[in-house]
Amino acid sequence: MAAVTTPSRPPGPYRLTEEHDMLRDAVRVLADERVAPRAADIDRTAEFPQDLRRLLADHDILALPFPEAHGGLGGELLNVCLAVEQLSRACATTGLILAVQELGSLPITLAGSEEQQARWFPKLASGEQLIAFALTEAEAGSDAAAARTIARRDGDDYVIDGTKRFISQGSVADLVTVFAVTDAEVPRHRRLSAFVVEVPRDGFSVTRLEHKMGIRGSPTAELAFDAMRVPVANRLGEEGDGWDIAMRTLDRSRPAIAAQAIGIAQGALEVASAYARERRQFGERIGDFQQIGAMLADMDAGIEAARQLLYRACVAIDDGAPDASRWSAMCKLVAGDTAMRVTTDAVQVLGGYGYIDEFPVERMMRDAKITQLYEGTQQIQRLVIARALLGKGD
Amino acid sequence: MRIVVLTKPVPDPASGGERLGPDGRLDRGNSPAVVNGNDEYVLETALKLIEAAGDGEVILLSMAPQNAPETMRKALAMGATRGILVTDPAISGSCTVATTRILAAALRTLEFDLVLAGVDTSDGGSGVVPPGVAALTGLPFLSYAATIEPDVAARTVRVQRITPTGYDVLEAPLPALISGTQALGEPRYPSLKGIMAARNKEIATLSLADLDIDPATVGLEGATTRVVGSAPPPPRGATRVVREAPDEAARQVVALLAERRLI
Amino acid sequence: MAGIWVHGELAPDGSLAKLSTEIATLARTLAAASGDPEVTGVVIGAQPLGAAEELARFVPRVLSLTEPTTADHAAGTIVAERLAALVGEHQPDVVLVGAGPEGRDLAGALSALTGLGVLANAVAVSAAADGPVATHSVFGGKLVTESALSSGRGIITIRPNTVTAEPAATAGTVESISATGDLAQPVVPIVERIAAEGAAASIDDARIIVAGGRGVGGADGFGLIEDLAGALGGAVGATRAAVDSGWIPYSQQIGQTGKIVKPQLYLALGISGAIQHKVGMQTASTIVAVNRDPDAPIADFADMVVIGDLFEVGAALLAQLRARSG
Repeated sequence: MAAVTTPSRPPGPYRLTEEHDMLRDAVRVLADERVAPRAADIDRTAEFPQDLRRLLADHDILALPFPEAHGGLGGELLNVCLAVEQLSRACATTGLILAVQELGSLPITLAGSEEQQARWFPKLASGEQLIAFALTEAEAGSDAAAARTIARRDGDDYVIDGTKRFISQGSVADLVTVFAVTDAEVPRHRRLSAFVVEVPRDGFSVTRLEHKMGIRGSPTAELAFDAMRVPVANRLGEEGDGWDIAMRTLDRSRPAIAAQAIGIAQGALEVASAYARERRQFGERIGDFQQIGAMLADMDAGIEAARQLLYRACVAIDDGAPDASRWSAMCKLVAGDTAMRVTTDAVQVLGGYGYIDEFPVERMMRDAKITQLYEGTQQIQRLVIARALLGKGD
Repeated sequence: MRIVVLTKPVPDPASGGERLGPDGRLDRGNSPAVVNGNDEYVLETALKLIEAAGDGEVILLSMAPQNAPETMRKALAMGATRGILVTDPAISGSCTVATTRILAAALRTLEFDLVLAGVDTSDGGSGVVPPGVAALTGLPFLSYAATIEPDVAARTVRVQRITPTGYDVLEAPLPALISGTQALGEPRYPSLKGIMAARNKEIATLSLADLDIDPATVGLEGATTRVVGSAPPPPRGATRVVREAPDEAARQVVALLAERRLI
Repeated sequence: MAGIWVHGELAPDGSLAKLSTEIATLARTLAAASGDPEVTGVVIGAQPLGAAEELARFVPRVLSLTEPTTADHAAGTIVAERLAALVGEHQPDVVLVGAGPEGRDLAGALSALTGLGVLANAVAVSAAADGPVATHSVFGGKLVTESALSSGRGIITIRPNTVTAEPAATAGTVESISATGDLAQPVVPIVERIAAEGAAASIDDARIIVAGGRGVGGADGFGLIEDLAGALGGAVGATRAAVDSGWIPYSQQIGQTGKIVKPQLYLALGISGAIQHKVGMQTASTIVAVNRDPDAPIADFADMVVIGDLFEVGAALLAQLRARSG
């Protein structure tokens, strides 16, 4: 009988400390006072909110994913997620600024040398620079190892050719972590290598910006590399480590997307419950009608369940759980589906008012959809969880 | 400049969970503790004064039976330098006389230029501890401050004290003890850097023995006052809801005021 | 046994504070109930005699102590030190003091100097066999507690408007006494007195308060609140939101970090009645609220709530009040 790697690590206790509470409250206040008033405008204009990026930088929020040694605030995953959640409660685009800063820099955290970290982290932690994560291609989405972007060694440089698509913040980033094939002849999972590319540079261009359903203020770019030269010193880890780096990155980055989803859902619940308290029909508050009350109750319970799973996952992953992939896939799966259901129901609670842009729930519903798609579709998350349960086949 | 800020952990007034235990003492387990609101205003002032001076420290001084480090942590995250916690099981149930003695004894172990305290607390609300501590320590006492302006070179401090008709400007030599109000200005939110830095800040503890205070003279046993009964407030009676048009609604208000001989 | 003492507090103009006349009235009731008719008033100040004579209308005996230092120094600690000496000499059972800023400063220092306990912010005091029992409203009015002095002796600070002041049937006597010895506590000079611009009527012991909140919308909106207060002969109060917005000075703020008031009438316009405000005014005898939102918390504890626009209802009310008095 084959050994099954059943993820049986019993979850240890976790609780939010006073420090977590303070951090969450600090970000919440900022989100309520400074981010929420901008959210509708960001969605309408579909412009990247540089003012809010500076706000996050000024308040050290972009420093959260980075180690203290390089100007960061320690990189605790739960802290990052608490902040993404609170920001996304007000504006999903703004929450994503932090989530992408973490996503793009995780390869450096996981595989970068001390020298590389010292080179790039301080400006990322201060928010002076942004970083994007370029793995996906038009024909290599869920099947990321099928990438066609090629990095060819030429002396002390690599020459990179290819096109990446659906790159969040790809057009506003100062650094891009690019995954490219360095050897097409080896097994799939040894084909890729990871490079940190300072942009703009010769051979780099932004060839397209997508028109999206949601997170409209976050530019989603197509990046083209035409004989783009990148020094060997910018390679993370060894040649062939790319796939492993990307997968380990996603294990740690998916919780931030779960946090974004939970934040969006919480924001929608708050709008829907306030509306249900105020709106009167047939002489009663609509929330007092059982059908509306039950919807709100289900929304609240679903969000709390997803939130607890997320926090638990953050602690497990930071503790070095061997089944980190499972935790991270589970929390994004549950949170993304919860966000979609909750925001759809929030629109329903508001009725006709939910469908127009006078209230934010229609935006939240559009924003929620992406959390079921990016950093692995929900289908991929289930695949990851099932694989952790069953082990690899022959 | 060195400023001591007296901070009291109180049950969060917004939590709605404040209640008395069976012995008439505050049941601190039933609602989250927060830094007393008025203490945050003076803490903010202390932080601003230190920032303006360029150097110095803000020392928190609290007294609590237990659990205070967590509340003190928020004040440290706001920027206070370090904390001193007088904690002893015997303290539980102390009256204002004992509290005043204990805080005065703790202050005698410290060097400082200023002591700041909120004018009162949201739980006890007696407002008698700051003047009492000043009297026991022999510090000049300046109360109900709306502004606090020390002149370190001249070793004096000026305070605008709120009066029913305006302000009295008071001046005293340093060190002095000042009770402050909300008029001092909004407390800051802790910054993320401040929150992370707080975990490494020192919270020293002092016991009653350290202060040479006999435990029998404090706490519930030594208290000068005791709660002898408590009950929910009598119901106010039904609320009359008036939905009529303004003129008619105003007429009903006038009728009520006349009926109760208020006009 | 030296019975009950009443501290006669001096108002800024040197007259006897209204609160002290209420406390003196309370003291007589308490003395009668405890079978110990001795009530003594104490007035300490630079020119105490006028206030002492006023206080003597309420209690049989008043000690008037001239302490010139209080003319241009913060009075609380100085009065406390002089009073502490008198308390040490005469050993009264109970010292009743106002629960306003002056009284609290005094009570705190007096307690520290004498070791007497303090029952603070009493809304009523009754006599029991082993000493007075004070009633307090605590935890934002969720609970009413009764507290006693362990030794039967101590200090009680009394909130304004707990009783209606009534002079005694016969006026008492005033004894002028002189202070002995230098002051040991440091004195704090008053270097300047600043009158607030257009200083509003004090809310501390106002019989009627008209208060505005966030719903008033701006400093201009407080014109209506002031007009209503004028028509009712009351003072203007405000919520923290209105004060934070800069529409009205902090001296008029009622609630958690402002003042706690107990007027006969509290007319609240555009005030939702959040707990932080409620704690400051819920013991008002009559509460009338005007609010758009029928579900605002204030509807749960007001005697009357008018659902409507505060400006429309307020204007109608002002017109009718003026018509009555005109």
